[in-house]
Amino acid sequence: MLRGNRELWLALLAMILITGLYGLVLFFTREIPPASELFGHGIGIVGFIFMLMTETLYSLRKRSRSVRWGRMSTWLQLHIFTGLVGPYMVLLHTSWKFNGLAGVTTLLTVIIVISGFVGRYIFTRIPRSMDGMEIEGTLSQEALKQARRLMALWHTIHIPIGVALFIAAFVHIGAALYYATFLK
Amino acid sequence: MQSNRLGCLTGTGIIAALITTMVIAGYIFTSGSLMFSPGALSTHSDETLGGVTSHAEIGRDCKACHTAPWESAKMADRCAVCHTEIASDMQSVASMHGKMSHDNPSLSCRHCHPEHRGADAQLTTMDSALFPHEAVGYSLNGHQLTAGNEPFVCDDCHHGDISTFASDSCQTCHSQIDLAFTQAHLLAFGTDCLACHDGVDHYGDNFDHNKFTFQLTSKHANVICTQCHLDARTIADLQALPQDCNSCHRGDEPHEGRFGSDCAACHTTDGWTPAKFDHDLSAFKLAGEHAEARCEQCHQNNIYKGTPTDCYSCHQGDDEHGGKFGTDCGACHQPTNWDNVTFDHNKSNFPLTGRHTGLACEQCHTNAQFTGLSNACTSCHADPVFHAGMFGLDCAQCHTTNDWLARYNGSHPGIADEGGSGVNHGGGTCRDCHTQTLSAATCTKCHDSNNPEGEGGGGEGGGGDN
Repeated sequence: MLRGNRELWLALLAMILITGLYGLVLFFTREIPPASELFGHGIGIVGFIFMLMTETLYSLRKRSRSVRWGRMSTWLQLHIFTGLVGPYMVLLHTSWKFNGLAGVTTLLTVIIVISGFVGRYIFTRIPRSMDGMEIEGTLSQEALKQARRLMALWHTIHIPIGVALFIAAFVHIGAALYYATFLK
Repeated sequence: MQSNRLGCLTGTGIIAALITTMVIAGYIFTSGSLMFSPGALSTHSDETLGGVTSHAEIGRDCKACHTAPWESAKMADRCAVCHTEIASDMQSVASMHGKMSHDNPSLSCRHCHPEHRGADAQLTTMDSALFPHEAVGYSLNGHQLTAGNEPFVCDDCHHGDISTFASDSCQTCHSQIDLAFTQAHLLAFGTDCLACHDGVDHYGDNFDHNKFTFQLTSKHANVICTQCHLDARTIADLQALPQDCNSCHRGDEPHEGRFGSDCAACHTTDGWTPAKFDHDLSAFKLAGEHAEARCEQCHQNNIYKGTPTDCYSCHQGDDEHGGKFGTDCGACHQPTNWDNVTFDHNKSNFPLTGRHTGLACEQCHTNAQFTGLSNACTSCHADPVFHAGMFGLDCAQCHTTNDWLARYNGSHPGIADEGGSGVNHGGGTCRDCHTQTLSAATCTKCHDSNNPEGEGGGGEGGGGDN
């Protein structure tokens, strides 16, 4: 269990640590860490970088033919880890206010994480080698075919949500820079 | 199936990107930048500024407050457009806003007045350490930590509304620090703490009374404030306390006012005793033997004030003249010694001239009478028989004090001399002819009766001694 879901346990551990840190800040400042101040802003930025990593690194590795650096399964574990911890940090960044575009972005983040869970469930239906290559013969042709169809369907849903999320996030970042960070 | 492109650049991905971009752009086009607002603006409404009564009324117009990063104008400049009164305050360090921005140049309006925190949110929140509290009349120099050793927050003193302050805030904490002192202090000086205290701790342990005109020396330095400052309620009350000794020490006065009210003439703040009285500062300087006298010799019955300064009031009993020289002893006597007499008769109304100067006093002042004597010659000199009553009593008509020789130039009956009255008849004196009295004369002293033209002939002759 632990071995098979190491990235989930690590993600849980990281989230507990971040929650602890959040609790300390909450205790000492006696206010919900605002999105615009050191802690709230920091977890927002780091969380978003994690989310960017989630989106790009695994995808690049999967499609790269020249550089075969690291195992696909490790990259998938990192993808899952950052895909959980990043959104969690972004959630704490919200300071529990979900106005306007920032609120929409948070909503999309929550959806993409749920979608990611669903995708992982479908993905693990297909037996793979340590490099992530599908292993033939363990499933019946019919079951494998159905799993692949499901996977393709999931991709057509998951990717547009992700794209919408990142566009909303970038606009949010741009607006934050314009209206707050570079405010004189 | 597999390619080098990113996984997101699928057909549905690109379509999603386009749709998202269009939705956001459309929203910006219809509603401005409202979707970027992190929260509602305040509906707090005090007055109409810039045509609106609250920030919420311009909540859809981001540009009303926000400037672009590349603009030279700052957000504070946008605040100043409506809040003109505050903007002018900012120019003066005497005002709270001016002092604050002067002390903290990096501070902007929004640092203390954050927005987008909801319709009912407080529009003013600030780090109390930044607030130039002295600019509103009360410094927080002396209020760094509460009685519980915690940093002060606004609410500790202001109870919810920073624009008001109740003195009971002071009492609550200061009673915890020193109950006895606080109660005594409130009783002595009242409950309006701010009437005297401005937070700079002028009246605490570092208070130096000697910076004022009334310096606390010696024993004054040890008295408690209320021994002098009774019923003071304001700084003006404290400063209005009279500084003369008597206003505090009237009750300590054992002299019953006999020495007047200037205690410091004799006493110092080192103590009531020893007292040093300088009699020479009074109207009666103690010259000569007076300096040796004991106080009670002059000041009888312990009465010091109003003692007469004339000699006779004390020295009547010493008057060996029996009052005959009057009461002004100082006219003749010095304070050094009774025997040191300097009587100048010429200062009297009868200056002594001629032969009068050589006389013994008692030749004129018979019966030891020195006052009230007549100036008339006749009071001493009787009209001589020789005059036979012919010249009246004014001796000085013919005589001086040098001698009795007469200088009579009046007419002389009966005889004549050459071009004269006859007084100098023959160059003789009165007594040449009038040997006994002017009423009888003989000629024969000069004139022979047998030879009336010859020497020694007699005839009537006039007195005319030269």
